[in-house]
Amino acid sequence: MIKHHPKFELLQSFVEGDLPASLAAGIAIHADMCSLCQRQINQLTEQVAEASFEQNFLHKFVVDNDEDLAEIAELDFDEIIEKITANDELESKHELRDERAIDFKGMQYVLPKTLRNMALGKTAQIGKLSRARVLLDEGEIHTNLLHIGPGGAIPQHTHKGFELTLLLAGTFADEQGEYVEGDFIMLDKRHQHQPATEHGCLCYTVANDALHFTQGINKLLNPIGSFIY
Amino acid sequence: MPPVHSGLPSRQTAATSSSMTNEIDHPQLCQWLKSIALERDKQAFTGVFKFFAPKIQRIAQSKLSSEALAAEVLQDTMSKVWRKAHLFDDSKGAATTWVYTIMRNVTFDLLRKIKANKEDTLSDDIWPLTQALNTEDEAFSDHIENRNLQGVIDTLPENQQQVVKGFYFMEMSQEQLALHLNLPLGTVKSRLRLALGKLKLKLGEHDD
Repeated sequence: MIKHHPKFELLQSFVEGDLPASLAAGIAIHADMCSLCQRQINQLTEQVAEASFEQNFLHKFVVDNDEDLAEIAELDFDEIIEKITANDELESKHELRDERAIDFKGMQYVLPKTLRNMALGKTAQIGKLSRARVLLDEGEIHTNLLHIGPGGAIPQHTHKGFELTLLLAGTFADEQGEYVEGDFIMLDKRHQHQPATEHGCLCYTVANDALHFTQGINKLLNPIGSFIY
Repeated sequence: MPPVHSGLPSRQTAATSSSMTNEIDHPQLCQWLKSIALERDKQAFTGVFKFFAPKIQRIAQSKLSSEALAAEVLQDTMSKVWRKAHLFDDSKGAATTWVYTIMRNVTFDLLRKIKANKEDTLSDDIWPLTQALNTEDEAFSDHIENRNLQGVIDTLPENQQQVVKGFYFMEMSQEQLALHLNLPLGTVKSRLRLALGKLKLKLGEHDD
């Protein structure tokens, strides 16, 4: 059973469209696997929508200063309506691309449907770790599909920023316990962990800074930190 | 064809509406969207537009801090409302939720275009517009049923589709449909009968 979920504030930002694509996609993938969160998202969306279009909502934007009010452009609504209705084409349903799979070390994984249209980089490997970048171009925020082969582990590390690990397939464990498919694990710089997998796993990861290895000889592994990031 | 609805809000009322009540007239919004879907009704679209446009403009302005971009969000959102109204299904959620979803997605893609210089329009993959908004378990099997039925209905001739959709999905009476489609009552009845005959054939009558 999924035990780790996005916290409420994150779901709210998701609904309001304020998250970067990488995190928003992570929540969408999780919600596809977690009916609990999906339901909460649906309820939140309904509430936010209702609040957005209530008449009173305009108060939020009403400022004492008349000049600020004037910044809202005077648009000719009738002209826009004419322009829009002049085109009588219908738009059909958004077609999802065909199922798409990715191979890591001879194992094939079907990608979550949220990721089907996203560009992926080439797969690179160090030891039991393989990763393919999800090419979202979000500056310091890096997104990866990270595969850890059977018996593999990521040495103990901390984060300077945040790190999202969303388990897509397989299982892994760290000091906090065992994780299952769909678990949404958001860590920040206060956390340390050392995930290890017995049978191998595939994760969707988002981080905004390189991992920082903390123990003895592992400090030499800092290239892995930038590899995973 | 005379419009069946009356009292479209004028631009003036929308501009001074902050003193008005909070209530959103959901049935009216649904009715307008259905009229757009079934009849490409411009007057209904005007109603929807004048309700949403001032709010969309302000929300977009506060998110994008640009008059030009806010105008773009408004235009794109309302074009999609016009062109996708047939995809709106009020059994899955309120009209406000549907329009909000479109606006949020348009804004997200536009921001991404500006920030990451990407035109990948990911929003529909992240927030699928057509997803069932009602995830109550008991509604689920019904939803599958509905989808099957919808597929079969789509194979009917256009004029029969109109009456079937109006009668079953919008729960309009035959009299209301006649008025709405500007057809004699007898025509509505015979189209409905014809359509039902075909539907029964195509769906296959299992037990009864």
